[in-house]
Amino acid sequence: MRIPIEWLNEYVDLKGKSVKEVADALTVIGLMQDKIEMDPDVIEVEQRLNRVDLLSIYGIARDLAAYFDLPLKKLETYTSEAEAENIIKIDVKCPTKVRRFNTRVFKNITVKPSPDWLKNRLEAYGIPSINNVVDITNYVMVELGQPMHAQDLAKMSAPEIVFRDSKPGEKITTLLGEKIELVDGAFVATQGDKPTVIGGIVGGVTTGVTESTTDIILDAGNYDQTTIRAVSRKLKIMNETVQRYDKYLHPNLTQLAIERASKLILDICGGEYHNNFNYYPEKYKLIELTLRLTRLNSVSGMQFTAEDVEKILGALEYTLEKVEPKVWKVAVPVHRTDVEVEDDLVSDILRINDYNKIPVSAVNSTPPAEITPAIYKFENRIRDELVRLGLDEHRTDPLVPSREKDSVQIKLLNALTSEKSALRVNVFETLQQVVETYKKFGATEIGVFEIGLGFTLDGSKENLESYKETLQVECFYENSNLSISQSNTKLKALLGAILKHVGLQAFYINKDNEILINENVLGIIYNNRFTLLLSEVLKYSIFPDHEQRVLTTVEHNTKFDISIIVEADEAFGPMYKEIRDMDNILNVEVVEEYTGDNIPEGKRAILVEIETIESDPTMARKKVLDHLMQRFNVTHRN
Amino acid sequence: MNMDITDLQRSFDEDYQLALQNGDFDALFLKYFSKKNGLTTQLLKSLKELDADQKRELGPKANKLQIDQKNKIEEGKKLFSGNKIKDANLDISIPTKPARSGMLHPTTILFRELNDFFRYSGFSVVEGRHIESAEYNFRKLNLPKGHPATDLQDTLFIHQGDDDNEILLRTHTSSVESRILSEYKPPIRVVVPGYCYRNETLTASNSSFFTQYQGFVVDKGITMQHLKDQLEKAHKFLFGDDVILRWRYKYYPEVSPGLGVDMMCKFCSGAGCEVCKHRGWIETLGSGMIHYNTLKMCGIDPEVYSGYAFGMGSDRFVMQRFGIDDIRKLYGGKIYYK
Repeated sequence: MRIPIEWLNEYVDLKGKSVKEVADALTVIGLMQDKIEMDPDVIEVEQRLNRVDLLSIYGIARDLAAYFDLPLKKLETYTSEAEAENIIKIDVKCPTKVRRFNTRVFKNITVKPSPDWLKNRLEAYGIPSINNVVDITNYVMVELGQPMHAQDLAKMSAPEIVFRDSKPGEKITTLLGEKIELVDGAFVATQGDKPTVIGGIVGGVTTGVTESTTDIILDAGNYDQTTIRAVSRKLKIMNETVQRYDKYLHPNLTQLAIERASKLILDICGGEYHNNFNYYPEKYKLIELTLRLTRLNSVSGMQFTAEDVEKILGALEYTLEKVEPKVWKVAVPVHRTDVEVEDDLVSDILRINDYNKIPVSAVNSTPPAEITPAIYKFENRIRDELVRLGLDEHRTDPLVPSREKDSVQIKLLNALTSEKSALRVNVFETLQQVVETYKKFGATEIGVFEIGLGFTLDGSKENLESYKETLQVECFYENSNLSISQSNTKLKALLGAILKHVGLQAFYINKDNEILINENVLGIIYNNRFTLLLSEVLKYSIFPDHEQRVLTTVEHNTKFDISIIVEADEAFGPMYKEIRDMDNILNVEVVEEYTGDNIPEGKRAILVEIETIESDPTMARKKVLDHLMQRFNVTHRN
Repeated sequence: MNMDITDLQRSFDEDYQLALQNGDFDALFLKYFSKKNGLTTQLLKSLKELDADQKRELGPKANKLQIDQKNKIEEGKKLFSGNKIKDANLDISIPTKPARSGMLHPTTILFRELNDFFRYSGFSVVEGRHIESAEYNFRKLNLPKGHPATDLQDTLFIHQGDDDNEILLRTHTSSVESRILSEYKPPIRVVVPGYCYRNETLTASNSSFFTQYQGFVVDKGITMQHLKDQLEKAHKFLFGDDVILRWRYKYYPEVSPGLGVDMMCKFCSGAGCEVCKHRGWIETLGSGMIHYNTLKMCGIDPEVYSGYAFGMGSDRFVMQRFGIDDIRKLYGGKIYYK
């Protein structure tokens, strides 16, 4: 927003302040300047607040006057107590969208180019000058933050303005000559049922004021901001009017604005003033709050006085009534629709007093009990171990294309692009992009992982508990310099290292590729990747297990080999588990598996080294073989 | 005899250390195990002269001693030979590819640093759920229905029911704040390193998926001075003790008063440059005192307790620090570690 300094000076005398001082003050107040280069005539600021009054030059002047402790000039206005003549009838058929429609009629005015001061101010702000009437409506909009509109009575097809919801397919040509098809939710001002204005957004070309105009109706409307916001976004119209109307303006602001504009019209355009209809069925009250000095001081940690409070809030045009020595009833002025609670008053005082003046002070209370979930610490432990094992961590965007037939995939209702219209079910859906990147960089050995959430729907869509977030560890390992089998062995070594690190050496892999501890599924493994469900791993882990791994004496246990013949397609994992679960067995390692010479077709041989605390390896070997041959379809290979 | 065993052990240990230096394990073996004069051999022979009780006690000790000593000699030989170049053709100086060493994701690195910093001040770390209800993502944070921040174009919705039951992807980590404040009693100190989602067009700097780092404190007597103190310390931790800060009013619905923090651009010392977009200052984070309504809606009495909250968009810092020019690369699987 461009703030012409000369215009500001109309309301508060800033001639004793440099442009930098004014810009710095605006920053503290809440309007950060946009550029460091100082134009001596105009300050450009960013508008990111909920403050409708700071979308007005007078509102900014008010804040600066309070900040610099300077007087604020009152605006000249015109009003009349005469009965409303209702020259133009006002009717509202969409009352939830139109809160107030305040109008005046002017007859026998002279429409011509604006005086220089008015033209210059508008152009310095960034609005081109059109003619004196249009310029006055824009001037008051920028001055007070209340959009206004003027229509040529002679061009009105009927002496009425009727607000109604737009009809499907209805079209209007705007002041800028653009033909627009109205959207659902829009409302229009009509004459003879023909739309002339898109309510709260932009006027139509038909009733615009030109130099031939002699009679006008001036209006200041107040509309439902939610409707304006939704419709303007759908129509992709963003202008000065919408910028103000898409926030909550108090309906009473229309009164100040129309009185101000009336004064300017009479002064600049001449003519006769007529009161017209003021549609305002539901009177909106101003908010009243209680402010306690103790609250101000407890929030800030400072020691303000009653005088400080009255000075600052008075300068901001709050009305204060002392109910106790340090307690006030505060009437919130019409231009401050953002103030809701006592702390908003505190905020205003601290803001004008300058936040930079608040000292710093350390909290000296005892830290509370820790509530960091165990799984968070566990996750980081796994993360560190994977990095130590040589894998690179990645984090990928969980949004993916939706799959219509996937009933567990969670889909978004309003994604902007189909590429990101659902949540991933498992982490590898998005981690695989990393694999592609590594291949592009020419990597032949790729070891990457991600610890992240997979999302699934399990239950009814209305119930938040149906949406499951499962923390997964997804590891990918592939070495294109090795065979698939060799590369997979390395992958399994990584899996073993991770699970050993959390005390889960006793895992095994079943024929369905599931990674299990006893009968509980920890995850799943394929030839080049595995997934672990972190909550399951945590459930069964011994965390930490450092004590278990420190030895001070060498234990010489008995080791022996067995060689068995199994079906080629039979998973060894369950047999491995059986052997390991036998009494006195300490460790089981597969030394080699092979097919070919001396091995029957359709079968394979597996050589296993077993460590036991039994002293007689022959007896131990016999026990294991007998057990395996009883439970599985295996034979002993001598 | 007991003393003999101990002395022999001590003597062996000293001789062993020497052998490790000079490699003469054959001489060590002969000294202790030669058939005629070996010291351990003689000790074992002297067992014959002991009575039954003594034999029972000292025999196993002596036996163990000889096994240990022999094992040690074998081990020593291997150790010693491992320190020498065995093969005359082996060139130790030839460089080789280093063993694999992984790396954390840049966002993890920043999160870890911040977590460690805040844990020092007694903060717990909570990530919270990503799929949330409108109640915790908006309403309890003083964002009623119809508020601009709850607009359709800003939020990614999953379910919108007739009974106002909205389920969405959290638009900020503040949803975790409302959850924690509703579930725990003060005192509370929590940081939230987390993923957020908004309905944004994908560009180099904006994504529908991004990360935030948030923190909040609730206790008796918390003031804006405490907030400023914590933020000042955090900035010094991140950017150095010489960081220059300015404090200004900033609006967030879930806090009042709201506070924005800027730091003077270190690249140009405030003169204006590309890094700070010619402003001289860089916005770092937003903060404020937790809104009266928010505390109340979370079941905490705002007349008894007060608190502050702060939050920053962490991706900006990660990208600047690691030289990543496009957020789509940061989370689109397009980065590679050398």
